[in-house]
Amino acid sequence: MRRTSWPCRVVAELQAFIPGLYPRSEELVQATRDLDRGRTTQEAVDSQVERDRAAFVSGQQEAGLDLLADGMLSWQDHFRALVESADGLETGALTRFLDTNTFYRAPKASTAVPKLGAPLDERYVFPLDGPRLVTLPSPFALSHGTGVTPKTMAEGVLKPAIEALDAELVVLAEPFLAREEGAGLDGLAEALESLGGGPRVAVWFTFGDARRLLEQGAADLPVEGIGVDFYGTHLTDVPEDFPKLLLAGVVDARSSLLEEPRELAAFAQRLGERAERIALVPNGDLQYVSERIAREKLARLGNARTATTEAAA
Amino acid sequence: MSDIKFLTHEIGSLAKPPWLTKSALGRELDESDIEHARTWGEKVGVEGHRELVESLQRGGADLEEIARWSSRYCVRLQESAGVEVIWDGEQLRSEMYAWAIEHAKGFEPRGTVRSFDNKYYSKSAAVGPVGLAAPYHNDEFSFLQSVAKHQLKIPVTGAYTLAVWSYDEHHTPKEGRLGAGYGRSQEIEARRELTLDTARNLIRPNLEALIDLGATWIQIDEPGASTEEDELDLFVESFNVSVEDLDCMFSTHLCFSDYDLFFPAIEGMGGCRQYCVGFANYDRTELGTSGADRPGYEVISKFRDLPYDPILGLGVLDIHTDFIEPSELVRDRILYAVEVFGDPARIQVCPDCGLRTRSWDVAYEKLQAMVEGTRLAEEALNHAHAST
Repeated sequence: MRRTSWPCRVVAELQAFIPGLYPRSEELVQATRDLDRGRTTQEAVDSQVERDRAAFVSGQQEAGLDLLADGMLSWQDHFRALVESADGLETGALTRFLDTNTFYRAPKASTAVPKLGAPLDERYVFPLDGPRLVTLPSPFALSHGTGVTPKTMAEGVLKPAIEALDAELVVLAEPFLAREEGAGLDGLAEALESLGGGPRVAVWFTFGDARRLLEQGAADLPVEGIGVDFYGTHLTDVPEDFPKLLLAGVVDARSSLLEEPRELAAFAQRLGERAERIALVPNGDLQYVSERIAREKLARLGNARTATTEAAA
Repeated sequence: MSDIKFLTHEIGSLAKPPWLTKSALGRELDESDIEHARTWGEKVGVEGHRELVESLQRGGADLEEIARWSSRYCVRLQESAGVEVIWDGEQLRSEMYAWAIEHAKGFEPRGTVRSFDNKYYSKSAAVGPVGLAAPYHNDEFSFLQSVAKHQLKIPVTGAYTLAVWSYDEHHTPKEGRLGAGYGRSQEIEARRELTLDTARNLIRPNLEALIDLGATWIQIDEPGASTEEDELDLFVESFNVSVEDLDCMFSTHLCFSDYDLFFPAIEGMGGCRQYCVGFANYDRTELGTSGADRPGYEVISKFRDLPYDPILGLGVLDIHTDFIEPSELVRDRILYAVEVFGDPARIQVCPDCGLRTRSWDVAYEKLQAMVEGTRLAEEALNHAHAST
């Protein structure tokens, strides 16, 4: 059995992993383009997805990451798989994802109480050998703009999806809350209450300054871990004696600049003065850089984890 | 009173035909590709298309020549559909971002990134001062002048979009951002330097070269304009820096955004004579000319109220679906816009955006419906005027 954490003198528990949407290789890009234009088959695309996934898993193993992810290579965005598996949800208008040049089909509710019709199949959650994580949208993100409450979305869609998973950690990606002026945590907190009892859950506040959310008590949310983008958030905004696993977004998924592992390691040690349990992660989905750059960032994340433990030993 | 007439025009890209894309990838053509060239050549009246068909059958044709054929086909496709102001739908360019960056100094490629679903774009990083390697639309414009029967409009990707779609390794600190509260103001300052550098040293000299060749209408494409709400002033400034005092009609194209965000910032963009804006993507498909019937067009009154009275290029075709808008639906969208504007002379008609994600069959039918719907709107208004 692989270790799922490493001892570290400054950081009591240190992990590293890659939640979220991982970029497709140039080969998979071409295959999916060809599929759309009727120049190849779904089988050929599936084969390339398998090759991409195998390369990603191998990259994570070589980097010594603690939880494996499948990269969500068949997901078109964070919501589509759930929307298509749920009764009462539909794909809506093409919508810009935050301030990126990437778009998603915004979920649209056709009933007041959407329900998951069937668990996510292997196309969306591929079986992996070893401790793994799965990324799903947070209840707030899934309910965003639908008129359905996060709690209803959590109970009807996310809970049955999570209960069907075999995963050490479910990371709930939350891209909106850190960027919405005036948005509070109450709706999210209430929704998360209903997700207990299954695998451990973390909320990953991606791509934004989490200061306001931390001040509002994000550390008290009923989850195992909290993810923070440290390219948007100051280190001192993390409360001292942070009580949860801190998913520290230290790899900038929106920059082509490659991180220096020693800088990441030094930062992790400083962070260790505030949180005993840390997981080094990107600050959002790595799909915002090309696969070639993401592969290098992944390796450097692993190097940073190793450098942190070595420096502290 | 003279008859009311709405000008119809294209917005941007069209799909590249299989005989061009396969040739570019070095793949063998099959009979369906040859048939595509034959049937479309006949359908839209491409003079000498048999020469292309024979060339494709023989194999080994020059890729640039095939691309010029594709350009001819797209010109005729739009002219044949009845569109009055046309272009070749990007047949001679790689893509709106990549083509500009390939001809610029100061950028390096960083791979392919997804835009949505199975759609992607190549993304580069600014790595040094920006400059123009060589005017990059001149050959295209000269060729189209020799081919087109209808008026030409040349789309040029704008400075802000090039900047915001690029990584910036030149102005972004390589270290020290992590956990330091690297603030939004620092990000904006970095973007400002890159954007204005691009406007002055890449876009403007390229526009000057086009105008020297005789271009009279240039559309500055800015699909990224509303990406950052707090950078809209920068978008406006970069537009003004790009076009100020140049002798040409300049329009801009905005799409898939929360258009409310543009106000009041674009009140200062007086050099823009027309806003071509995608609305159909947000609209209902049922007929009707009331505000309740046309929710996708709710924001147009803000364009009406701009102080310099620009024309609105009214997007009436949703380019993300194969749904063929009935001409009556196009008509009703136009009639609603005229009702809001109160001045038909300030309305022109176009698709929401480029149609490159649609097949030629779908694009052609949509454009025909747009033209037919425009004629229906003209008839309705002229009939109403005649009756009063």
